[in-house]
Amino acid sequence: MSSLLKISVSILLLFLSVTASGNPYRFSAGAAEAGMGSFCITGNGFWSSFRNQALLGFNNSFSAGANYENRFGISELGTRTAGMIIAADRTSLGIVYSHFGYPDFRREMGGISCGMALSDKISAGVQIDYFSEKTSGEYDNNRILTYEAGLLIIPSEKIRVGIHIFNPVPNSLRKSSLPSTLRAGAGIELSKVLYAGAEAEMSSGEKLILRTGFEYEAFKKFWLRGGFSSENTSFTFGTGYLFKSIKLDLSFATHERLGVTSSVSLIFKIH
Amino acid sequence: MESGDLFFNLCGTLRLLCGTLCNNRITINLQLILTKKYIILFKAVKFGFTYYRKAILFITAIILSGISFCQNEKLSEIIINIAEDMASEESDPEAASLFIEQLQELADNPVRINSDDETEISRLFFLSDFQIKALANHVRSSGKIVSVYELAGIPGFDRQSAELVIPFISLEARTFSISDSIRIRNTLLSNLIFKPGEKDTASPGSPLKILTKYRFLAGHLEGGFTFEKDPGETFFTGSPPLPDFLSAHLAWSAKGIIRKIIVGDFAARFGQGTNINTGIRTAISLTAPGYMPGRDEIKAYTSTDENNYFRGAAAEFAFRKIGLLLFWSQNKIDAAIGSVSDTSMFFIENLYLSGLHNTSSSMLKRDALTENTYGMNFTCNFSSVKAGLSLSENRFSLPFNSEKENPEKLFDFEGTRNRIVSAYYNSLINRILLYGEFSMNFPRNFALIQGITLRPSDRLSINFLYRNYTPGFTTFHGNGPGSGSSTSNEQGLLGNFTFEAARHFFISAGCDISKHPWLRYRSSFPSLGKKEEIRLRYLPSEKITFDLSYYFRYSMYNNVETTGIAGVEENRSRTIKVQIKYSPNESLSAATRIDHKVAEPSGSKGTLLSQDLIWRCRQVPVTLWFRYCIFSTRDWDSRLYTYENDLLYSFSIPALSGEGSRSYAMLKWEVGDYAELRVKYSITSLIENVNDFQDRDEVKMQFRVWF
Repeated sequence: MSSLLKISVSILLLFLSVTASGNPYRFSAGAAEAGMGSFCITGNGFWSSFRNQALLGFNNSFSAGANYENRFGISELGTRTAGMIIAADRTSLGIVYSHFGYPDFRREMGGISCGMALSDKISAGVQIDYFSEKTSGEYDNNRILTYEAGLLIIPSEKIRVGIHIFNPVPNSLRKSSLPSTLRAGAGIELSKVLYAGAEAEMSSGEKLILRTGFEYEAFKKFWLRGGFSSENTSFTFGTGYLFKSIKLDLSFATHERLGVTSSVSLIFKIH
Repeated sequence: MESGDLFFNLCGTLRLLCGTLCNNRITINLQLILTKKYIILFKAVKFGFTYYRKAILFITAIILSGISFCQNEKLSEIIINIAEDMASEESDPEAASLFIEQLQELADNPVRINSDDETEISRLFFLSDFQIKALANHVRSSGKIVSVYELAGIPGFDRQSAELVIPFISLEARTFSISDSIRIRNTLLSNLIFKPGEKDTASPGSPLKILTKYRFLAGHLEGGFTFEKDPGETFFTGSPPLPDFLSAHLAWSAKGIIRKIIVGDFAARFGQGTNINTGIRTAISLTAPGYMPGRDEIKAYTSTDENNYFRGAAAEFAFRKIGLLLFWSQNKIDAAIGSVSDTSMFFIENLYLSGLHNTSSSMLKRDALTENTYGMNFTCNFSSVKAGLSLSENRFSLPFNSEKENPEKLFDFEGTRNRIVSAYYNSLINRILLYGEFSMNFPRNFALIQGITLRPSDRLSINFLYRNYTPGFTTFHGNGPGSGSSTSNEQGLLGNFTFEAARHFFISAGCDISKHPWLRYRSSFPSLGKKEEIRLRYLPSEKITFDLSYYFRYSMYNNVETTGIAGVEENRSRTIKVQIKYSPNESLSAATRIDHKVAEPSGSKGTLLSQDLIWRCRQVPVTLWFRYCIFSTRDWDSRLYTYENDLLYSFSIPALSGEGSRSYAMLKWEVGDYAELRVKYSITSLIENVNDFQDRDEVKMQFRVWF
């Protein structure tokens, strides 16, 4: 009876995790990005670099960060993420680890990424991902190796366009049903203190998701953020503060039926 | 064979090909050697793709994306939208292919806009009469156009229409010299298309599709041949053994009284095309900036439609303001032949137009009917009016015998002879262009067209076109403006406008209402159709463009779910397309596109997100096209069409239905001024169920050489 209950809860939680994300295998955006409706394809944020690796090409600071996402206030649906960016001139390396779930169902992801500025206007990046999915009971455990890649184009001084593909592997080379995802979006610097953008995402077998968000530097080193995602009609808002070399971000995202998801992130800018 | 060996073999073969061409010692014998190497190359690549194709594609794409930069090789969004719209028309499946083929002919043989010759400029068939005259006048009065950016400043043109013509024009003026008439310029093109791993044991031939075109030009003389083999067809058929489709021509053109003489295969078009038009029909798009004018021409046939062309001789004469075109043709075409029971009398059940001869029944239809056609076209140019008179007659070796008991076929043609007489005109008065055509075949069947184009200002263009084709009107080589493939059984009114609402911002909209007074395919009742389009284009700079379009389609068909007398099913579809193109520099361009379609009455929805990249490598003459597209449609009703860059004389606008992804990579390598190699690999990955995946892939290769 106990194992049946565990399995039922696992399936329910899996359903909830799928409900809350277009592609459940993509790790959650950081708190800063989550506050902007998860718009992160062209942003300068730390976590954006792991959602579009091309952004690493223009990232020239050595930094490390940790993020915790508490989905709908259910600890079993929490996602813990840690990452590090090692910058070297026009090339940066990134390492990320993410853990979702609880002992009876957990999904872990590890990734190594590299981004390179090909010119002043173009940058490209790629990330190798390893997923491990473990379920208690008689269910199979999954281990998947795949890749994702991104491109950042700067057609004009204030406009940035981002393109990202995740797991673009033909069916005949797949060993699991890991979805493929395509994202594209653009951001515009409306003023020195206001950045806004929108992106579209589509995963195989899923509906199109539109996201839009903005970041406003209300005071020096203090940001306010807001956004909207068509996925579950979610409105988001957040805030961030930079204290010396430590940045703290908080965000809240609504769900039309399941409540609020909160995120907190700490980023250490080493140099 | 190891995959590494395979790659080295491929590279070696390519190097051999390049070396051979760069040495500039191309003779007929070398062509044979080239052909052998070509075959080895194809076999090697086919082998590679059979075993390692996906891995090779993605590794290659990643490597190339790392080393390449970008380029500006792109068709106007308007043309792509027209092609996609035509591909979605069930009633005229060949129209998109014909349209693309005509564009590719133009790309292959660009229009010399500095020649100030209106006939030459009118080869840009999507321009309006206003634009053709304005362009010729500009060259006459201001001299040669030195940059394509000048085009947008010519009256009647804007940035949108300039963008439309750029891929199809050359700034060289046509000048003939003695050396030109001595020098022979040859072009040889060969396409090979196959689906790796696909075996069709039911067909007599291999699954390869092969196309070869050869063309030479020597001063006023030009000639060439085309041969094609479709998948499943045998390469040689008949006695003597010849390719399944073989077409050849020899043409001479000059500027005297005798303008052109063609012997062999040719295409023709008179006026608005209700009598003779073997090419694309006019008024193909509701929101195109220009409007396709009617025109008179004969030209060498280089296309691959296996039935709609003429084989014989044609001549064009001109004297002052009078023009005369004469032609005669005898051609064997495909048809299904039936016989009257208990007699030896044969008759034509229907014409077979697909051109495929890969089953025993389709091979029986091949060249089953002899068609004799002759005709003339006389035109007279007055100061502001051009008038023309056409006559054509088809004679068939067997009679048509329609099934009169089938009400849908009540008005179908019967007998062995069809004669059409047409009169047409167009008149340009200030900023108003009036044009019309009346065609008649006997008894009392007619086709009537009347149109008007208004250009109240350089920023606004308005068009109206009325058409009325009686159900019994029959034309075998005509193609008038309309909503379907047949110039028959249709009454309709089309109206549209294009407006430059603000700087760099264009609005165009159109509506076409058609009525079919008699029954037609899948409509056992008189029916209605309607098309509406609205398009917004914002072109803020050379580097970024925004397109937003909305399409509405309405049609009436039989309700297949009812028994007995067919019920009426009203189909409606609404599509929204958003596209953004951006280009940070001259060698990279990218496009992101979202399509969303809702089809009724099923309520089915379809969505796609697509990303295109085009790179041109600066170090070597290599261009790479890459697309990744994810789509999700509930069923076939909400399918979506996306135009793809392809080989020359091949086109691809796949209908995406179900859930999955579609991607392709194409590489073009220009080997000096002598040769060009293109390779395209495309794959559609479909998710049928949770654990049921399908891949459909295709390899296309093209080799072109100039000598």
